[in-house]
Amino acid sequence: MTRLREMVSWQTTWGDGVIVGDVTVTPQSKALVMHAPFGGLVWNRPVAVLVQRGELTERIPIVDVTRIAQLGLLALSVVFTVVIFILSAGKRRS
Amino acid sequence: MSEDTDKVLDSVIESQAQNLELMEKLFAVAQPGAVYGEPVASGEYAVITASEILVAAGSGYGVGGGPGAETLEAEAAVEGEEDERTGFGGGGAGGGVSMGRPVATINIGPNGVQVQPVVDVTKIGLAFFTTIGAMLMMLGRMRRASGG
Repeated sequence: MTRLREMVSWQTTWGDGVIVGDVTVTPQSKALVMHAPFGGLVWNRPVAVLVQRGELTERIPIVDVTRIAQLGLLALSVVFTVVIFILSAGKRRS
Repeated sequence: MSEDTDKVLDSVIESQAQNLELMEKLFAVAQPGAVYGEPVASGEYAVITASEILVAAGSGYGVGGGPGAETLEAEAAVEGEEDERTGFGGGGAGGGVSMGRPVATINIGPNGVQVQPVVDVTKIGLAFFTTIGAMLMMLGRMRRASGG
C-alpha cells in the first residue's frame, strides 16, 4: 500500500500570485502523478483561483464544461444501456 | 574489462542519465506553471489561460553479451580449433504522449475576476454522436431480440 502511494499521488499545488491593479490572483492546480521504474504519467488540471482584493478573499472554482458534458453523455449512454437491458430482459421473461 | 564491455556500460549510464533528465522534465509538468499561462495584460485588463495537460512517457533498455574470449579459447583448445566469437550489445527504446486542452480563461479587470470556460464543441459533438450511435445500436439489438 505504501509502495502504491509512492507510485501514485494526487498533488494540489498553488502557483505564484499574479498582481493586476489591487487584485492578486493565485492559481491552484491538481495533478495526478504516477511514477514507474522507467516512465511516468502526469495529469495536471486547473482547479481554482484564489482572488484577493484588500481584506476580501474569494475562491473561484474552474469548471471544465467539456469534461462535464463528456461525462454526462457517458452517464446517459450507460443509463440507457441499463434501461434497455432491463426492458429486453422483462420482455423475454413475459 | 574489455573495450566492448566499457562501451556497453557507458551507453547504459548515458541512457540512465537521459532517462532521469526526461523524468525530471515530465514531473515538472505537475507544477501549476505548466497549467496556467503567463498573464497577457492590456491596460487595466489581464487574461490568464488555464489548460489541462496530460504527459506520459516510458523507456526501456536492455544489454546482453556472448561468452568471453577466455572461455572460447579454452573450448577451442579442447576442440582443436580457434573461435573468437564474443561480444556485447544493447538497445533501448522510448515513447511518450502529451495532450493539452484549454479549459478556461481568467479575466481580471476593474469589474472583478471572471472565469470563462472554454467549450470544446468538437469533443462534445464527437461524444454526442457516439452516444446517439450507441443508443441506436442498443435499440436495434432490443428490437431484434424481442422480434426473434
